[in-house]
Amino acid sequence: MNGAAPTGFETWLAARADGEVGAGLDWLEVQRRNALQQVRDQGVPGTKQEAWRYTSVKRLLEQGFARVEDAVTALQIDDIEELLIPDLDSHRVVMVNGRYTPSLSLLGDLPKGVRVTGLRALLASDPDALRERLNGVAGESQPLFAALNTAGLDDGLVILMDRGAILERPIELIHLSVGMDEPRVAQPRHVVSLADGAQATLIERYVSLGESLYCTNSMLELSLGRDAVLKHDRIQVESPNAFHITGLYLSQDAGSRYVGVNIGLGAAWARTDLVTRFSGEHAECDLQGLYLAGDRQLMDYHIDVDHAVPACSSRETFKGILYGKGRAVFDGRVVVAKDAQKTDAAMSNKNLMLSENAEVDTKPQLEINADDVKCSHGTTVGQIEPEKLFYLRSRGISAPLARRMLCLGFAEEIIDALYSDALREAVSEEVGRRLETAPLT
Amino acid sequence: MLSVKGLRANVGENEILKGLDLEVGPGEIHAIMGPNGSGKSTFSHVLSGREGYEVTAGSVTFEGRNLLELEPEERAHLGVFLAFQYPVELPGVNNTYFLKAALNSIRKARGESELDAVSFLRLIKEKLKILHLDDSLLKRAVNAGFSGGEKKRNEIFQMALLEPKLAILDETDSGLDIDALRVVADGVNALRSPERSMIVVTHYQRLLDYIEPDRVHVLAKGRIIRSGGKELALELEEKGYGWVLEQGQAA
Repeated sequence: MNGAAPTGFETWLAARADGEVGAGLDWLEVQRRNALQQVRDQGVPGTKQEAWRYTSVKRLLEQGFARVEDAVTALQIDDIEELLIPDLDSHRVVMVNGRYTPSLSLLGDLPKGVRVTGLRALLASDPDALRERLNGVAGESQPLFAALNTAGLDDGLVILMDRGAILERPIELIHLSVGMDEPRVAQPRHVVSLADGAQATLIERYVSLGESLYCTNSMLELSLGRDAVLKHDRIQVESPNAFHITGLYLSQDAGSRYVGVNIGLGAAWARTDLVTRFSGEHAECDLQGLYLAGDRQLMDYHIDVDHAVPACSSRETFKGILYGKGRAVFDGRVVVAKDAQKTDAAMSNKNLMLSENAEVDTKPQLEINADDVKCSHGTTVGQIEPEKLFYLRSRGISAPLARRMLCLGFAEEIIDALYSDALREAVSEEVGRRLETAPLT
Repeated sequence: MLSVKGLRANVGENEILKGLDLEVGPGEIHAIMGPNGSGKSTFSHVLSGREGYEVTAGSVTFEGRNLLELEPEERAHLGVFLAFQYPVELPGVNNTYFLKAALNSIRKARGESELDAVSFLRLIKEKLKILHLDDSLLKRAVNAGFSGGEKKRNEIFQMALLEPKLAILDETDSGLDIDALRVVADGVNALRSPERSMIVVTHYQRLLDYIEPDRVHVLAKGRIIRSGGKELALELEEKGYGWVLEQGQAA
């Protein structure tokens, strides 16, 4: 598999000494080859491509990330104690550098009809369970980083829920990155499949030990059957030197409901693509996001919502706080098909700029091809209002604390949508901590 | 306690305060009355340190300190409190969290220990009782979606909690119906004490039916043109500002 990928990405896909996972599975080999061809065909994205207009991959390429080789086995649960959220009662799955790590995981008892397992393990024990599901949502034609993930498929988490199965406690997926001697890239691949009427909560957390340089190129395929419900919180607090990429592909059947809250705080360079498609009527998709970007930080969000069928509703509510020389991109696109009458779509992106040197490019787009729809979009870029600041200061609150309170107030709407108080508190604290040292110029 | 001498202040190019003098002793309640545009709100804002005003002459001394050189929060630490004419809505900022941050900031600045959650809630309950308020406003975001009356009550509640030495009530009566006005005035009266001075800024005499001042001053065109006892307010009510303005010019 070495050789002909475009400059910079060969190392991502270097051959493994112990061979590829699922080697010998013909269907998987075909998918891999197909993905590799797409990587080659696409080449390095440039700013002339609409999806990369505001974001350069130059910094990413310069790092020369090498593919993660061996599983990290030395870690004990004590080593990651500080990364756990107390009072978060979950089925815990820990992945270290992209590899499912049972010794740090604590799955506990799962209800009937729920299967939670590592991708690698499932490919070995029951590959047929994945045959229709891998690339089943993302499709055959994939953008560069998704294709890279597919071509370099190695491990990930698989959640399969039978019809009507209900998870009372959330599944918590902790992506832990540990610095290696040279900068490494991990490409975890997750598959979540909820059959009709199944209900679950998934909490994804991207964390690191130390401030090392690495890259995570994570890809998720989520499919929701009729009336299935998935609550999905994603909290990205990668190392300040990390590069983070997420490609999330979601397919929703009739009457299903997805609520996703994306918190982006860490990493030097973070790119998130959220792609969702409705396949049945009366489904609801609620995408929310909060991002912070400071010096040497880029937060780039691309959202693609495809109202292919009538009577579905989608909400995209993203808020950003920028300081120092922070940069963010919000590129949201909602497409309403010709037959998708009674579509209800609302997209909003609000940005609070704490510094004149911060920059945000925000571009919400609606493409409406039906005539009986309710669609709206709005975007704001503003500063902290002086009257609010004065009000707090007149009560004895210092200017920095007042600013922090107002920022948290701005973010509250999104933080409030997280799964539990324990999670809300953890995120609020982390946001507060970052704002405490946020440069205002 | 508060000594204002020859205070002049501009907003942009316009001089709004043109040599204002005022002396307020401990425990005294002074009413400042005046027609629209006389400089009442400017005076309140200059005392509390709001941006956008340029003091060009005069002095403001509070318990021996030059108030004008202090930041708004430093003035609050000394015990100056402004009840806003238009309390600001802070969506997403929880009222209890806000009150605790304010109280503890002031305690910290004074070298006192910060209150923990339990002692704070006990104190809050006590203050609510004094003002006959229920605790529903604690759970909400600061002033967000509050009615006019609720906002003003929240101001008085903050005042009760922060226990200022000098409270400036900037047109606290504006926008209130008679029942809301009575609730707010009762609250203010409950907070009267020999150590607490107040400046009650108002356009109308009716607030002074409920909050009885020691002194009444008439502010016009940026200066105090007449001062007297509480009967001056009644006289103004009867004869209107025109009367005192003419007198002021004659004098």
